[in-house]
Amino acid sequence: MNIVVLVKQVPDTSDPETEVIIDSTGRGIDESKLSFVINDADNYAVEEAVRLKEKHGGEITLVCLGRESANQVIRMALAKGADSAIRLDDEKFSYSDPITTAKILKTALDGLDYDLVLTGCMASDDGYTAIGVALAKMLGLPHAAMVKSVEVIGDNKMKIGRELEGGLMEMNEVDMPCLLTIQTGINEPRYASFKGIREASRKEIKVMDLAATGLSEEEVGEAGSKAVMAQYSVPEVGELAEILEGDASETSAKLAEILKEKGLV
Amino acid sequence: MHDIFVLAEHRQGELREVTLEMMTLAGQLAEQSGGKVTAVLLGSGVDEFAQKCAQYADRVLYVDDPIFENFNAMAYVPALAQLIEEQKPHLVLIAHTTQGVDVAPALAVELDAPFTTEIIEMSLEGEKPAATRQYYGGKINGRIEFKDSDVYLVTVREAAVPAGEATKSGEVQKVENPLKGEAGGRRFLEYVEAAVGEVDITQSEKLVSVGRGIKEEKNVPLMEELAKVLGADLSGSRAAVDAGWLPTDRQVGISGKTVKPKLYLAVGISGAFQHVTGIKGADVVVAINKDPNAPIFQYADYGIVDDLFKVVPALTEKLKEVK
Amino acid sequence: MYVETQKLEQKMTPEEVSFVEKYDLLGCIQCGKCTGGCPVTTRSDLNIRRFVYDCLQDHLEELSKKPEIWDCTTCNTCAIRCPKGLDPFEVLLGLRSFEVEEGNVQPTVRDALESIFNNGNPWGKPRAKRCDWMQDIEGVEKVKIANPGEKVDVLVHICCTACYDPRIIPLAKNLVRVLEKAGVDYGFIGEAESDCGSEVRRLGEEGLFEMLVEDNTELFGSYDFDRLVCISPHCYNTFKNEYSDLITKPVMHYSQLVAELIEDKKLVPSGELEGKVVYHDPCYLGKKNNVFDEPRYILGQIPGLELLEFRRSRERSLCCEGGGGKMWVESESKQERLAEVRMSDAKQMGANIVAVACPFCLLTLEDAMKVKGFEEEMRVADILELLGEIL
Repeated sequence: MNIVVLVKQVPDTSDPETEVIIDSTGRGIDESKLSFVINDADNYAVEEAVRLKEKHGGEITLVCLGRESANQVIRMALAKGADSAIRLDDEKFSYSDPITTAKILKTALDGLDYDLVLTGCMASDDGYTAIGVALAKMLGLPHAAMVKSVEVIGDNKMKIGRELEGGLMEMNEVDMPCLLTIQTGINEPRYASFKGIREASRKEIKVMDLAATGLSEEEVGEAGSKAVMAQYSVPEVGELAEILEGDASETSAKLAEILKEKGLV
Repeated sequence: MHDIFVLAEHRQGELREVTLEMMTLAGQLAEQSGGKVTAVLLGSGVDEFAQKCAQYADRVLYVDDPIFENFNAMAYVPALAQLIEEQKPHLVLIAHTTQGVDVAPALAVELDAPFTTEIIEMSLEGEKPAATRQYYGGKINGRIEFKDSDVYLVTVREAAVPAGEATKSGEVQKVENPLKGEAGGRRFLEYVEAAVGEVDITQSEKLVSVGRGIKEEKNVPLMEELAKVLGADLSGSRAAVDAGWLPTDRQVGISGKTVKPKLYLAVGISGAFQHVTGIKGADVVVAINKDPNAPIFQYADYGIVDDLFKVVPALTEKLKEVK
Repeated sequence: MYVETQKLEQKMTPEEVSFVEKYDLLGCIQCGKCTGGCPVTTRSDLNIRRFVYDCLQDHLEELSKKPEIWDCTTCNTCAIRCPKGLDPFEVLLGLRSFEVEEGNVQPTVRDALESIFNNGNPWGKPRAKRCDWMQDIEGVEKVKIANPGEKVDVLVHICCTACYDPRIIPLAKNLVRVLEKAGVDYGFIGEAESDCGSEVRRLGEEGLFEMLVEDNTELFGSYDFDRLVCISPHCYNTFKNEYSDLITKPVMHYSQLVAELIEDKKLVPSGELEGKVVYHDPCYLGKKNNVFDEPRYILGQIPGLELLEFRRSRERSLCCEGGGGKMWVESESKQERLAEVRMSDAKQMGANIVAVACPFCLLTLEDAMKVKGFEEEMRVADILELLGEIL
C-alpha cells in the first residue's frame, strides 16, 4: 500500500506566552523569534502512515510545500519511516489561498502511484482546514475529514471513523484510493531519534519549483488565488473578564465570595 | 437581488444551533444587499427542521431523500453543487464544523468559487463580500479579500454570530434530489458514542476544567480537590486529554463535549477557540491563568492572572471556609 | 573466563561486542555491591548487577524493552561502590539508546527531546523567551551579557530549568545578585545558550547529545573567559566530564565560586537566618564530582544557621530521583518516593530548612514536602535563595 502524506512546517506558536508579531508588510509575521516544527496534525498523519506501512507494506512519499528550512520536518518524517519526499518550493507560491495551495500540491501527486493520501486535518498556523478535502476533489478521490480511526478492510476499502462534535464517531466505509485528513490524537507519534534524522538525510528530497509544476505564474500565489489574506491585524480585545487583583490569597478570597454570592458554592 | 444560501446542519434528529446562527448572519447581510436568505436542507423526513429553518429564512430548499438520512460528504458535494449551479446564489454559508469542513473545500473546487474558511465576521461592500478570520490559534486576525465572482463560498465559525429571533416565515420548497445515483466511494455505517465514563460532563452543573497549564498528570489530584470542594466534575482541554491526564469523555471543546454548566472554572487553559466553543453554554466562566493575554480571559466573566499552583490551593481553602 | 569470552565473541554480532567493550562488561565480577547499594530497589524491580550479567549473555534488544531500565536515576551509587571501578548504570543508558533509536519512548520524553532539538530547552519554551527571567532583579539594573571575543572572568551557563521554570528562576536571579555584589567580572550567554545535554544523554539520545556537544563547544569557543560556572550540577558535570577535553577552561559549580568569594571576603554574608538547616547532597555534585565541602562551607558562613547532617550524607547521600532523565519519566511504583523518605528524615531531625544546590533536587524535594504536608514546619531552598535572603 503506497501512501502519500502531505506535511507542513509551521512556526511553533502553541505556547500561550509566544507572541505572534505582525511584520511591516502587514501580511506576514516576524519569524525571527519563533522555532519551526512539523504541523501537529501532520505529525499524527505521518505516524498513521508509518503504522499502515508496518502492517501492510508499501512506500510512503512525503509532499511538502515549503522553503528549504522545511527539510527539517521532512527529515524527521523520513526518519520515522517515510521513504522519499518532494518539496514544492518557489517564491511565487507565496500568498496562495488554500485552493491554490491544493492545486500546487496536486502537481507533486500527479506522477505518483498511491492507494492513500493522508494529511493533517488542520494547519496550526493558518487554520484553514481545507487543503486536504480540496485536493481530494481535484484528484477525483473519495475523502473523509477529521479522521480519528483508520482500518484497512478487505481489498481496497477502509473503515474510518470521523470524530464529530461531542466525541461522537461517525463510521464510514471509503473506497481506496482515497484521501483522509487526520485528527490529532488518533495515535501516539513516535520519536525521531537524532541518529535516525541524520541517516534520513541520505534519502532524497526532490525539489519542484514553479517550472517543474507545469503551472504558470498567473495560476499560483496571489495572482492565482481568489480569496487572499490581505491584511493582518491584532484582534480587538473582547469584553474582558473582571480581573481580580491581589496576591493568591486575596484573589482566591474574592473569587470564593463571588461564587458564594452567586450561589455556586 | 441575489440569494444567500445557508446549508442547514443536522445530525441524529437535531437541527444544530449553528444553522440558526448562520441564518441570522445571512439575514443581516441580506438586509444590506437587498437579497434573500435561502436555507438549504438535505435530509430524509426532516420536515420539522424545514419548518424551523423557515422561521429564519425567506425560503427553504428542502431535498427529502433517504440518501441524506445520514451525513455523507460524497453525497452532499455533488448535490449542493448542482443546486447552486441551478439557483445561482451569490453567497453560500456553511458551518465550520466537522460536517462543513468535510464538504465546503470540495464544493469550492467544484464551483471554482472564491472560498475561505471559519470566518468570524463578514461584510458586503456593494455586492462583494469581505471577511475576517483568525490565524495562529486566534493570536491575530486576517482580512480576506475575494476576487470578483458570481458566487462566493465561506465556512462560518460556530458562535461567531449569536442566533437571533425567529422573525421570518419563509416558504418551504421541496426540490427533487439533484443527486443521481449513489454517493461516490463512501458509505455511512453508524455512529459510535464515545465511551461514557461514570460522569457525563454535558450534564454537569459545575465543572473545573484543566488544561496544559497544570503541566503534569501528578497535578490532577490538586484540581480534583478543588472540584470536590465545589461539588464540580473535572473536565479538560484537548491538551489535557491528549496528554492522558483525563479520559477522553472529559474533553471539552470542538472535538470533545459541549457543556452547559452554571459554573465553568478554567484552570491553566489558554482558551483556544476549539476549546471555548464547547463552553458557550456556560453561565459563569472563571479563568485562572498566568498569561494575562490568554484568550480565555476574553470569554471569562472573572479572571485571576496568577500562577495556578498558588491560586488553586488557596482557593480550595477559601471555599472550605465560605461553605 | 577466557573460553567464555571466545564463545561470546562467536555468538555476538559486532555491534554487541562493541556494547560489551563500551561498558567494559567483562570487568564485572558480579559481586552485587551495585545492586546492594542501589536506592531505587525499594521502588523498582531494577537489579543492576543482573542487567550487567544479562547484557553479557545476549538479547540486548529484549533487555532494552524492560521497563525498569527507565527507573535508574543515574545517582552514581553503584559506580562509587563498584570494586572494579566500573560505571554499571551506564549499561542502562546504552539499553535506553536502543529504544530511543527505535522511537519507542514515552510521549513526555519525546516532547522533551524534540523541544531540545527545536528550541534548545526541554520545556517546550521558545528560545526567544530564554532571557525573560533577567527582568526585575533586586538591585540589578541590567544583567551582563558576554560578548564573543570580549574577555570575562566568569562565563555563566544557566540551566534551562532556571531560565523557564518560575520556581527555579529565583536561583538565576540570586546568582546575578551574588555576582554583582561580589564584583565578579561575569557575563551570561543569552538567547544563544542551549541545553547542556546531560539529561539527553541519560535518556539514551546519544545522537542528539553529540550534536549538543558540537554546538555548545563551538559556542563556548567563541567566548573569551577564564571559568565556566553552572547553576545546575547536571550541567556542571556534563560540561566538565562529558565534553571530553573540548572545554579547555575550568568548569565550576556555583557553590565552588561562591565559597571562593566568601573565603576571599569578596562576598560577606551579612544578614541573619534562623533555624536548623540540613544540606542534601545533589548526586551530580557530590557522588559524581566530590563537591561536598563548599556548599556546607557557605551554609556555615550564614549567620544564625545551625547546620545538621543527614545520616545518609556525602557519598552515601540518598538520591531525590530528579536526575537520569527522571523529570520526564514517571515511575510506575506506588512505593514512597525517595524524596519523600528524604523529607521525612529531615523532619525527624528537626530541620527547618532543607538546603539544596540543584534545580532538580529543589523541585523533587519541595514536591515531596508538599505531598507529606510538611509545609508548616519546614521549607526547601537552594543555597542561592538563602544567600539571596541575606544579601
